[in-house]
Amino acid sequence: MGNLTASSFLVALSGMVIVFIMLSVLCAMIPIISKVVLAVQKPVINNRVAETTRPKPSETVNPAPTGVAGEVSLIDVDEKTAACIMAIVSHETGIPLSELIFKSIKAI
Amino acid sequence: MNDFSFIGTLQRILMESGFAAFAEDPRSLIMIIVSFVLLYLGIVKKFEPLLLVPIAFGILLANFPLTGMLNEPVVVDGVTQSPGFLWVIYQGVQHAIYPSIIFLGIGAMTDFGPLIARPSSLLLGAAAQLGIFTAFLLALALGFEPAVAAAIGVIGGADGPTAILTASKLAENYLPAIAIAAYSYMALIPLIQPPIMRLMTTQKEREVKMEQLRVVTKAEKIVFPIAVTVFVILLLPDTAPLIGMLMLGNLFRECGVVDRLSDTAQNALINIVTIFLGLSVGCKAVAENFLTLETIKIIILGLLAFMLSTVGGLLFGKIMYKLSGGKINPLIGSAGVSAVPMAARVSQVEGQKANPANFLLMHAMGPNVAGVIGSAVAAGFMIKVFGG
Repeated sequence: MGNLTASSFLVALSGMVIVFIMLSVLCAMIPIISKVVLAVQKPVINNRVAETTRPKPSETVNPAPTGVAGEVSLIDVDEKTAACIMAIVSHETGIPLSELIFKSIKAI
Repeated sequence: MNDFSFIGTLQRILMESGFAAFAEDPRSLIMIIVSFVLLYLGIVKKFEPLLLVPIAFGILLANFPLTGMLNEPVVVDGVTQSPGFLWVIYQGVQHAIYPSIIFLGIGAMTDFGPLIARPSSLLLGAAAQLGIFTAFLLALALGFEPAVAAAIGVIGGADGPTAILTASKLAENYLPAIAIAAYSYMALIPLIQPPIMRLMTTQKEREVKMEQLRVVTKAEKIVFPIAVTVFVILLLPDTAPLIGMLMLGNLFRECGVVDRLSDTAQNALINIVTIFLGLSVGCKAVAENFLTLETIKIIILGLLAFMLSTVGGLLFGKIMYKLSGGKINPLIGSAGVSAVPMAARVSQVEGQKANPANFLLMHAMGPNVAGVIGSAVAAGFMIKVFGG
């Protein structure tokens, strides 16, 4: 059978096993990396969101028209503007919209 | 001047021309016809034209007699003669530069998000390397030397640059046949895979709709290429050129601060290097290396390697279908052969044929990009074992 020997089968088997081991370890590593990254990111996310949404101490709150879009309360802001703001915050922080929680958006 | 004869001069020009040289060795003429056939396949049939057209033209140029385009630099009387143009271009393949730069571009074009969202895709990418190792055994059985058999097996990874890199290190004389087989079959993936997919899966399995993937954050996408580079290269240093460049390209894409580099890597640079790579591969297809029985064997083994890799991916897909309680569609397994994104598209098309509401593309992209990593690891293993 040509150059086929018992050791050829061993090489083929070892190769397949090594590919599997390598990619299995990567497979196990990815969730760990994701957890670490998300754990490190969370305080940063919270701080950024808090900075974005916190009202300045000197400002006066307008009791004027208040609306609610989903779970976000809108104060003096229409839905279109609110959507733009949410998209900008998501883009600037690099955090997907699905992971950001907006409590309220208010015109200053 | 009195001895000048118009007819004599014309006769001498003809005798020293390429036409006369064809009469001495008509095999070059056959290679030129082969280049015409490949040009036809690339231009008219659109078989991987971006690579097949420069490869075919490289074959055409390399087989013109007396051009000296493949001449190595030689020293005559202490003076170094200029090497041939194609010899210079070929050094990029000889030293594994072009395949690595192509990987940089592929990395910049690839979104690893689906893979990060479902890491088990990596196992499908591993299983779909089955063709590499079975084709290696078949090539040995057909009488190829072990190093050459290893290079032939890597065709089963369905990854052109990896196949070229391995062939340049392990089987230089067979490089054109291996590259042409790899790229031709990649173009034929939509014809090769579907019958195997339908044969190996039931209608019920093909109809499975998969849950939407989770959203992957930007930070995860940035850390991923760095972590893979560190881990894989430390374990298999021979994969460094391919994995290193693939992940650097991906980091360019994801980090968001080097958009110009990312754009260059995935457009201008990859296009320039594709021209050089194609010409380099084509220029090695000279008659004495290419017009052999071995070339036919390589073409057949390449097809078997592709088919067996598809089988490997599908088999593991079926295992995951069972283990997940029917939540994973085994059709995404066939995308584990690299061929990005063609193999993933085939999974999508076949899935939609079984169930028009089925959208498997993003799910299949995970195994698809895992296949790129898997084939690079398999090639690194082969180079380690047979590279000497």
